[in-house]
Amino acid sequence: MGEINLAEEFTNYVIKNEEKFYRLAFSYVKNADDALEVVQESTYKAISTIDSLKTPEYLKTWFYRIVVNTSIDLLRNRKKVMVVDDKTLSNYDFGMVDHYADIDLQKALENLPIQYRSIIVLRFFEDLKIEEIAAILDENINTIKTRLYKSLKMLRIQMDD
Amino acid sequence: MDEKLEKLKKEYMDVPIPEELDSVVKKTLKENRLNNVNKKSKFKKIKIAVTSIAAAFIAFTIGINTSAAFAATLSKVPVVGSIVKVLTFREYTVNEGTFNSNIKVPAVQGLENKTLENSLNEKYLAEGKKLYEDFEADMKKMEASGGGHLGVDSGYEVKTDTDRILSIGRHTVNTVGSSSTTMKYDTIDKKNEILITLPSLFKDDSYVDVISENIKKQMVEQNKADSDKYYWVAGIEKDSSMELFDKISKDQNFYINPDGKLVISFDKYEVAPGYMGIVEFVIPTDVLSDILVSNEYIK
Repeated sequence: MGEINLAEEFTNYVIKNEEKFYRLAFSYVKNADDALEVVQESTYKAISTIDSLKTPEYLKTWFYRIVVNTSIDLLRNRKKVMVVDDKTLSNYDFGMVDHYADIDLQKALENLPIQYRSIIVLRFFEDLKIEEIAAILDENINTIKTRLYKSLKMLRIQMDD
Repeated sequence: MDEKLEKLKKEYMDVPIPEELDSVVKKTLKENRLNNVNKKSKFKKIKIAVTSIAAAFIAFTIGINTSAAFAATLSKVPVVGSIVKVLTFREYTVNEGTFNSNIKVPAVQGLENKTLENSLNEKYLAEGKKLYEDFEADMKKMEASGGGHLGVDSGYEVKTDTDRILSIGRHTVNTVGSSSTTMKYDTIDKKNEILITLPSLFKDDSYVDVISENIKKQMVEQNKADSDKYYWVAGIEKDSSMELFDKISKDQNFYINPDGKLVISFDKYEVAPGYMGIVEFVIPTDVLSDILVSNEYIK
């Protein structure tokens, strides 16, 4: 019967936080139709695999993870996203200062590679803890810290005149 | 820095929430939880969707072009050659703010076999009428609960028109957030004036497996060549909770293309994620040659 209760708990959690997850999805896919589709598909994936969630305490990070992954999948399928390796990234880091000096904030955030942008969104907009972000993005805590530092640096570089 | 982040956060928080969100989430939870308990988890896509401003505009334009003038022009749109014709028989249009519908009902004309002609036309008309009535009912319900966006667009296209074969495809697009599209086909032998069904083309039921295997092979090959071509099929989809494509149904949607090849069609969400839309597979004739009744239609 624990299963049923977990499904119950999940149902309440999603309904209570649906706007939150919609905003999160929107921050990736950038349009209402796709964001709605992501929320729907994530909800479906979660409710139909809720049995696989062994530890109820992870419900929150587990669902965040589904939403983030579903958003990225959708983007990937539409080829709107570029995967950038660390080497390219470091070039980017130093070389673009002048070009991006006067674009607005939003653009600066959007220009961050997706794995960096996720961290900014989850940390500052969703107010999640580093440990939670690590669980959601399936990375270790130190990686997240490094990326957080790096993305802030990149934002600052891009935003400062 | 803090100030800048605050500003970014505000923009993030200010994203407008579509009013459909709540009902989409609740419906998905409800329908799939039932399935979950039954251990039969087939993803039920809800046909509820947001309409973006752009989409509303398009529908509006169509509305203007079609409204009054359209009743007059429901005349003949001779799509097909000489004798047997497909034309727009009736058109239902609604264009009230956020509620838009455009339903075109086709009719076949010129068949000697009036029983066939009438039964097709009656079917088309009944379906068109039902779509329209459902739309009206949904619209009333939505109006009563404070409004929303709703759209239905239905029409037809002649897929094939040769001396021998006439294939008509009818599509229906429901828009309530994300859209769902369904397609139905009828294929007529113009010479003998009979309706061709999928089983009637084959000697026995083995076609179900033969065609299914070929489609699965095509799905995997397409995906290998281009990873954007994604299907819910073994060999591509790794998520075990998704229901995978196994077999076509005995009366799967099909038509015969102008080259005389059998084309199997799947609706949006039937075998692939929504972004793939309606998917079609042309079945190579040599795969079928052993089980075909004859090469009269399929070449």
